[in-house]
Amino acid sequence: MSEIEQTQTQTTEQATDQPLETTTGESDEEVREEWRQYDFQGSTKLAAGDLNVHYGDDHALKDVSIEIPEQSVTALIGPSGCGKSTVLRCFNRMNDRISSARIEGSVTLDGMEIYQDGVNLVELRKRVGMVFQSPNPFPKSIRENIAYGPEKHGDLETGLLSRLLGRSDEAAREELVERCLRDAALWNEVHDRLDDNALGLSGGQQQRLCIARCLSVDPDVILMDEPASALDPIATAKIEDLIDDLSEEYTVIIVTHSMQQAARISDQTAVFLTGGELVEYGDTDQVFEDPQSDRVED
Amino acid sequence: MASATRNDLVETDTSRTDAVAAATVGVSAVLFVLALFALVEVVTLTESLAGLPTVTLLGLLLVLLGGTVVAFGVGSRLGYVDTTPRMSAGLIAGLAAAVPWAAVAWGVVAHTLNFGNAAGFVAAGVAAAAAFAATSFPREDVGSTVPIGLLPVVVGLVFLTSVIGPTWTWPLGWEQPVTFNAELVIPVATLFCALYAGWAAAKAYGGFGARGRRMGAYTLIYLNATSIVAFLFVLIAFTVVQGLPGIFTGAQFGFGTGPESTILGVTFQWPFSLPFVMNGVALLNDFQGVLPAIAGTIWLVIGAVVFAVPLGVGAAIFLTEYAERGRFTQVVEVATNGLWSTPSIVFGLFGFAFLIPRFGNQKSLLSGMLTLAFMLLPLVVITSREAMLAVPDEYRDASAALGVSKWQTIRSVVLPAALPGVVTGIILGVGRIAGETAPILLTMAGGTFTPGGQTVDVIGGFEFTSAPPFVANPELLEATSALPYQLFALITAGVGESSNLANIDQFKWATALILLVVVLSFYAVGIGARYYFRRKLQYE
Repeated sequence: MSEIEQTQTQTTEQATDQPLETTTGESDEEVREEWRQYDFQGSTKLAAGDLNVHYGDDHALKDVSIEIPEQSVTALIGPSGCGKSTVLRCFNRMNDRISSARIEGSVTLDGMEIYQDGVNLVELRKRVGMVFQSPNPFPKSIRENIAYGPEKHGDLETGLLSRLLGRSDEAAREELVERCLRDAALWNEVHDRLDDNALGLSGGQQQRLCIARCLSVDPDVILMDEPASALDPIATAKIEDLIDDLSEEYTVIIVTHSMQQAARISDQTAVFLTGGELVEYGDTDQVFEDPQSDRVED
Repeated sequence: MASATRNDLVETDTSRTDAVAAATVGVSAVLFVLALFALVEVVTLTESLAGLPTVTLLGLLLVLLGGTVVAFGVGSRLGYVDTTPRMSAGLIAGLAAAVPWAAVAWGVVAHTLNFGNAAGFVAAGVAAAAAFAATSFPREDVGSTVPIGLLPVVVGLVFLTSVIGPTWTWPLGWEQPVTFNAELVIPVATLFCALYAGWAAAKAYGGFGARGRRMGAYTLIYLNATSIVAFLFVLIAFTVVQGLPGIFTGAQFGFGTGPESTILGVTFQWPFSLPFVMNGVALLNDFQGVLPAIAGTIWLVIGAVVFAVPLGVGAAIFLTEYAERGRFTQVVEVATNGLWSTPSIVFGLFGFAFLIPRFGNQKSLLSGMLTLAFMLLPLVVITSREAMLAVPDEYRDASAALGVSKWQTIRSVVLPAALPGVVTGIILGVGRIAGETAPILLTMAGGTFTPGGQTVDVIGGFEFTSAPPFVANPELLEATSALPYQLFALITAGVGESSNLANIDQFKWATALILLVVVLSFYAVGIGARYYFRRKLQYE
C-alpha cells in the first residue's frame, strides 16, 4: 500500500512542479515514458523489459525497461540503494546467488531471453563478465588469476596430466595472459613478476587485474559495479582510460556514484532514483546538460 | 605533588630513584626465576648458592626486596621521591593484598604459635581485612607498597631465622596424610612474594598513577608469559634428561653396526645401532626396545588421518557451501561439538563393542585406526568449517562471475584458501589422538611387550588372495602396541618389574621421550605443511 501511495505522491509532485512542460496536454505518465526513451544508432546488445526484483519483502527494482547499445559505455547513476547494482546483477544472473531474491520480467542478450529454463549459466557469464566494487583477485599468482577462467572451462589444458601427455597449452596460456594484461593496461607494470601473488599488487593494479581476468573468457559485455570507488584519483584515471579503450570492442555497463565520472566516460546515462525506478535514460550530454526531469536535475 | 601540576613532557635523565626502582623489579625477577628453579629442584634448598645456604640467600633477597619497596612508598609519601600517585590504590589491589596476608596469618597462628586451625582462620580473616584496609585507604604510594612490601620482609625474616628451614615439615593432621614441607612451601612463598613485590616495584618505577599501573600490569603479564614458556621448557627438558640414557642404552655408531632394513625393495644397513628404537622385547635380546610400539603409533595416526580427513573436510564443504543454513546445520553443529567433547573412553568402548566383533573378533590395528578416526572427525569438521567460512565471499563471487561452476570454485579457490586452517585442525587433533591410551587399550593393544618380529608392516602386509576382494592385509587385523599404551602398562600394572627389563625407570622415561618425539614430529610435519600452504596464499 505504502508503495502505491508513494508513487502517487511523486506523481502529484511532478504534476505541480512541471506545468509548463506538459503544454501538449499529455499526462505525466507519458512524459515520464518519454524521458526513458533513447533512440540510438546501432543494434541493441542487452535489453531489460519490465524488470522487477524483490529481496524478501523489499521491492528493489520497479518496472525497469532499458535497451543498451552495442560497443558503448552506459553509466547507471543514482543515490545509494536505488537499485542500480541490482540491475547490473540481473544482467548476468548474479542475483540468483542471493536466495531471497525474486526476479520478474525479461532480460535479453542479443535477443535471447536469459531468464528462461535451459539457459547455460556458464555460457551467459562467459559472455557477460563482471568487475566488482572492491578488487577481488584470487590469492594466487597473477598468471593463475588470468588463466583461471579458461582453465576451469576446459579451454586451456595445463594440468599435470596434459603436461605428461605433452598436450599442454602453456604457449596458448602465456599468449592469453599477455593479451589480457595488455588489454587491461597492466602488462608493462607486471610482466616481469607474473608468478608473484596478486595480493601484492596495489589496489588500482588489482582492479585492472580483475578487469584482465574478466577479459580472459572473452566476454561481449562487461559489467562494472563502481570499479573505482575504492581507488585513489590516479588509479581511477587509469581505470577510466581503460574503460574508454574497452568500449571499442566491448559493451561496457558501469555503475557509479560519481556524476563526474559518468559524464567523463559514458556514451549514455541511465538515472535511477530511490525506490528502484529508472527515471531518465539518454545520451550522456543530454542527460547532464538538459535533464528532462527536475528530480534528475537535483 | 598530588596537585594538578603538569609534569615535564619529556623526562630527560634517569633519576637515581628510578634506577633503584628498576633494580628492585630486577631483583624480583631474579627471585621469581630462583623460586621456579627451586620448585623443579634444579636448585636444591639444602645446598649453597653463591657461598650462602640457599634458604638464607632467598631470605636476604626477600628482605632487601620488601624493604626497598616499603622505603620507596614511604619516601614518596614524605615527598623525597617525585611521583604522581592517585588517592587510592583501588579495590583490586586491596583484594590482591588481602589474600597472601590471610595465608601468612593462618600459617603463623595455626602452625608456628600452634593455636589450631579455628584460630588460624579467625586470624586469616583479621589479617585480610587489615591488609585490605591498609591498601585501599591510604594514598596510592603508601597503599600499594607498604602492605605488599612488608610481605616479603616477613617471609624473608621467617627464612633467615630458620623458622622455616630447608628441612621444615608441617603435618596438618587431617584424615588424609597431607604434609607441607620446605621443598614446596619455600619456593611457592618466594614465587608469590616475588610476584607481588615485582608488581609493587613496577608501579613505583612508573611513579604510580596511570603510568605506574600500566607498568605493574606489564610486569605481571611478562612474568606470566615467561613462566608459561619456562614451564613448557622445563617439562620437555626434564623428559629429555630422564629419557636419553634409556634411549642410548647399548647404542653403537659406525658402519656395520646397525641392523639391515629393506625399504621399497632396497636393502641397506643403518650406520648406527640404537637398540631401544630398533628392537622389540624378547627373551634373547641384549637390549630391549619399543620398535613395535613406535610403528604401531605411527600407523595408527596415519590411518586415523586417512579415514577422518576426507570425511571431515567433505562434511565441512557440504555444511558451508551447499546446505542451507537452518535447523539441520544447527543440529549437525551441536552434534559435532558434542562429539568433540565426548570422553575418549566412550569412543574406546564403542570401538570395543561395535568394531571388534566386525573385524575378526579380536583387537586389531584397523579397529584402533577407526576408533581414533571417529575421535578426530569432529575436530576436522569444526576447524575446516571455520576455515571455509573465513574465506571471503568475494572469491566465490569473482569465480561465479567468470562462469565457473560451484564445485570447481570450491576445489580451486575455497579449499586452497581454507587449507591452512584445515591443517591447523588436523595438527591439533593428531596431538590429541596420538597420546590417547584408553581407546587403544580397548580396541588395539595386544601384549605389553611385543617382540621386534611382530612390528606391524602395513605396506608389506598387503597380499593378493584368490577370493574377493582379492586384496587382504592381515597386518591390519593383528593386535599391536602403541607408545602411550606401553607406557600406561609399564606404570600402572608394574609390568616388567621382574621380567627382562634391566632398568624399568629408564625404559619408562625413554618410552615417554620417544612418544614426545613422535608427536612433535607429526606437529613439525603439520606446521611445515601449513607454512607451505600459507606461503602460497600470501605475498611477501
